[in-house]
Amino acid sequence: MSKCKVLLVDDEKEFVTALAERLELRGFQVLVALDGQRALGLIETDLPQVVVLDLKMPGIGGLEVLKRIKAQSLQIPVIILTGHGSMKEGKEGMDLGAFDHLIKPIDIAVLIEKIKQAAQVFGCT
Amino acid sequence: MNKKENNEVAFFGKITAGITHEINNVLAIIKESTGLMEDLMLLSKEAHFPYREKFQKSLSRINDQVSRGTNLTGILNKFAHSPDKTISEVDLHELTEQVVALSQRFARLQCVTLVHNSSDQPLMVVTQPVQLQMAIFTAIQCCLDVIESGGTIELCPQKIGVEYGIHMVCQGHLPSQKVFNDHIYSSEKWTELQKITLALRGLAKLDELNCGINIYLPYDIALL
Repeated sequence: MSKCKVLLVDDEKEFVTALAERLELRGFQVLVALDGQRALGLIETDLPQVVVLDLKMPGIGGLEVLKRIKAQSLQIPVIILTGHGSMKEGKEGMDLGAFDHLIKPIDIAVLIEKIKQAAQVFGCT
Repeated sequence: MNKKENNEVAFFGKITAGITHEINNVLAIIKESTGLMEDLMLLSKEAHFPYREKFQKSLSRINDQVSRGTNLTGILNKFAHSPDKTISEVDLHELTEQVVALSQRFARLQCVTLVHNSSDQPLMVVTQPVQLQMAIFTAIQCCLDVIESGGTIELCPQKIGVEYGIHMVCQGHLPSQKVFNDHIYSSEKWTELQKITLALRGLAKLDELNCGINIYLPYDIALL
């Protein structure tokens, strides 16, 4: 069975590196993007099955990435990450069609559960 | 508050909110990094590592402090967003919870416990959130000036009839009701509290029977 391919998008390099290693230890194939532009490129070339997306990033922000994914009618589930003060943006993300949203710092078990649910809903395992 | 004061408070709020985001990111990095260490420890549990137990204990301590820090930044972030709107609809329970959390350190230094008598049912009023936070904090300070070490201050947001308010009562070793009342009536903080509650179109009154303070508020300040 092929590994579930997850794209992590966050401009905090140390955060995303540690999280990627943790997910890889649990059997996921992980792609990393440190900005929105790179994320959009990887979505096109590497076809991740789930995207975990931080909302606050310099340049193309998370909401814009989400809008562009939806504008292309891509069926990739997006789990958004927000800080405490970004509940409004989190809600906006949900309105734009995000699969779910989590507040940072995240619980790895909860994130994995969400990734699995998202992958299942969208027909991959 | 006048427009200049509102702008100043908004400025402080905006900067503080931004910094809490940054602190939150720091905590997230620490959490994932310790999580990764825990994962690796678990993977190599058969390998010899003389300080395994101490190492795990330290990781657990870091995790506890990350949770504590996350909780504090969450509270501080909400507080920093309070001046986003001069007047807004607030849940008295949520706001009281927030002020209690922010005031715990001041109470703890005097060995006093602050308790919010919470409820699942929201108690909504339209008011000036920053001024109301100041009112609750000032009332807590009034009580802290009188209550002795080991005491408790209980805060209970409630609606009685058409009035909304926060009932604050001191428990523990207390002076007589008369001494309590006289002390508070003569304090500058009480005068300050009167001014703040007036600005909220409300009222602060001493609880003449229970060594406490009641803050009364209108349902909607904008309607007055």
